[in-house]
Amino acid sequence: MGNIFDFLLVNPMTNALMLLYGALGNSYVLAIIALTLIIRLAILPLAIRQQISAMKMAAMQPQIRALQEKYKNDPQKLSEEMRKLGFNPFSGCLPLLLQFPILIAMYQAIVRTLAVTPLNLVELGSHVYSFLPSIASLVPIESTFLGIFDLGLPDRYFIIPILVVVSTYLANKLLTPPSTDPTTQQTNQMLQLMMPLMFGFFMLSTPAGLGIYWIAANVVGVLQYYITKPILDRARTQHGLSVPAAPATASAASTAALTSASTPAAPPPKPKVKVKATLRVNQSASVRKREEERRQRPPAR
Amino acid sequence: MLELAIPRLRWRAAALLGALALALAACGGEPQPTSFAGITLIGDRAYLASNLFVHKLDARSGSELWRFPAQQDGNNPVGPFAGRPVKLRDAIIVGGTLQFAGAPDNRLYAIRDADGVELWRFVPSPTAKEFADGVATDGKLIFAPNGDHTLYAIDPSQVENGAPRVVWTFKTGNRLWSVPEVAEGKVFLPSLDHSLYALDAASGQLLWKFTAGASIASTPTFYEGVLYVGSFDQTFYAINASDGSVRWKAAVDAWIWCQALVDGERVIVGDVKGKLYAFDRATGQRLWTAQTGGPIRAQPVAVGDSLYVVSFDSYLYRLPRNPTPREDGSVPLERVLENGLGRRLLSTPVVYEDLLLVPLFDGDIKLVAVNLTNAQKQYEVRVVP
Repeated sequence: MGNIFDFLLVNPMTNALMLLYGALGNSYVLAIIALTLIIRLAILPLAIRQQISAMKMAAMQPQIRALQEKYKNDPQKLSEEMRKLGFNPFSGCLPLLLQFPILIAMYQAIVRTLAVTPLNLVELGSHVYSFLPSIASLVPIESTFLGIFDLGLPDRYFIIPILVVVSTYLANKLLTPPSTDPTTQQTNQMLQLMMPLMFGFFMLSTPAGLGIYWIAANVVGVLQYYITKPILDRARTQHGLSVPAAPATASAASTAALTSASTPAAPPPKPKVKVKATLRVNQSASVRKREEERRQRPPAR
Repeated sequence: MLELAIPRLRWRAAALLGALALALAACGGEPQPTSFAGITLIGDRAYLASNLFVHKLDARSGSELWRFPAQQDGNNPVGPFAGRPVKLRDAIIVGGTLQFAGAPDNRLYAIRDADGVELWRFVPSPTAKEFADGVATDGKLIFAPNGDHTLYAIDPSQVENGAPRVVWTFKTGNRLWSVPEVAEGKVFLPSLDHSLYALDAASGQLLWKFTAGASIASTPTFYEGVLYVGSFDQTFYAINASDGSVRWKAAVDAWIWCQALVDGERVIVGDVKGKLYAFDRATGQRLWTAQTGGPIRAQPVAVGDSLYVVSFDSYLYRLPRNPTPREDGSVPLERVLENGLGRRLLSTPVVYEDLLLVPLFDGDIKLVAVNLTNAQKQYEVRVVP
């Protein structure tokens, strides 16, 4: 399995990164940025499809809620009716899940090409293509950046970890869609705070080159959001969603945060007050009914 | 709804923090080695430098006579260690290599052979980096290649203020990750800057320089005035040791990071894609090849009628010393232990009587002794920090 993963993804990325490094004047930072751009362009159709799919699911929410209410005691019938409706809970996150291997492969390609240790260098040698002998002449790569950062070592000035934290936070804030479910919304808010801190923490002990990748990925993710916004807006209008769309699933939103919000899922969240208002409007009939019953109940003695 | 959400939120937060704590806990324990263990056999004693410790072992039984440090101090760790330990007079010299996550241990250590007590430790310069493959010696000086591109020649007989004197240094254009070959008063130094340097051992003066198409990471093998060395440029070279001229060169299929073995009229070497090659020592003609399942970094070993080679794929392979190749020039390999040794194998084994002592790259088991007579494991050296 590992060999197939290497063959299909890690090896092509490793070799592409080395070729870009050579083509861009032996600048590893430019090579990372270029490869991040190329990958994002390659998976752009997939990302857009995922977003549109998530919107479709969001558009179906009222019908789904009605069905859930109607068949709350008959899960089999419920799933039948949902199927008839065309609801597929995985359609939103499947394309996103398909992007995961690409991100993991990119990470591995960076670790290999940086070749911080002798072990990394042996591994790099076993994964470069023999039919590209010119790659060997580029090894070991020049890992100094701006004369102060050694991309192969953790950043002792903490500049890159701080930039990772800030860029991840801002990208997540912009790209994680708001949710109609308060629990999901709260979880998202927590993840938006926790994830950047966690990445920043990891960056303290990992090569600075990986930090550069995270920063580039965040910036490219934001750019991608603005580029694809017209397409998504059109799709949103088509599905009659004039308000911020809900994510397909809570996990999709969490995943967006986990992957440094690699793809835009919906427009940026509205200010907190507005979100609350939206939540109130979108609360299901059953919830409102339960709240009404609670209010009418005499207080417990 | 929101009130109900809060306990769930707390639960999720606790789960996330728990997962983070688990991930951090997994980072504890013995760190993954970054460079290759080394073993040296002197008489019936084996010296093994492997990650957190240097061990002196009884080669017959594998019992530990001492380890350095006796215990790792979390506040003041030493090592990790890599490369073959070298004995000079009453001291065992080892180098500290890269620590996990890239922070370098840039010190050389001298350990008293009798009891494993530290004699001195030495940082050659404030900008020095890792000693990724240990050191070499000519019996007088220690030649210590460093990740800061510099070869340090030090004299351990002149210790001042607890550190030996640096006799000379030689700067190259890139990292030095392999020990030099020392022969006939010369130091033959491979560098990742694509060059092989010949230096005068006493003065450090450059005698000649040979430049290949890519990095030279393996230690050259000196034999009868010729150096045999491979490069990442997918070429194996025979170079005249007197002037650095190329006697012959042969194309291979991948990078070479394996010290060649001169076996009679043949030179045997492996590449990082697992192929073993035999060349005619005089002409460079390819005689046969054999394929293993992973990179070959360790030097092959000849014992009796057999050649042994270890591979990254965890297997110890055997083949006849004079094999008859098939029509396509390939030779079949036999696995000595059908299930392999369970870990990546990247270090050159040593032979003690009927035992082959094979260092393992990672894991608790640091060394396996394979009985070559019955092809069974004789003993394992397991280290619990």
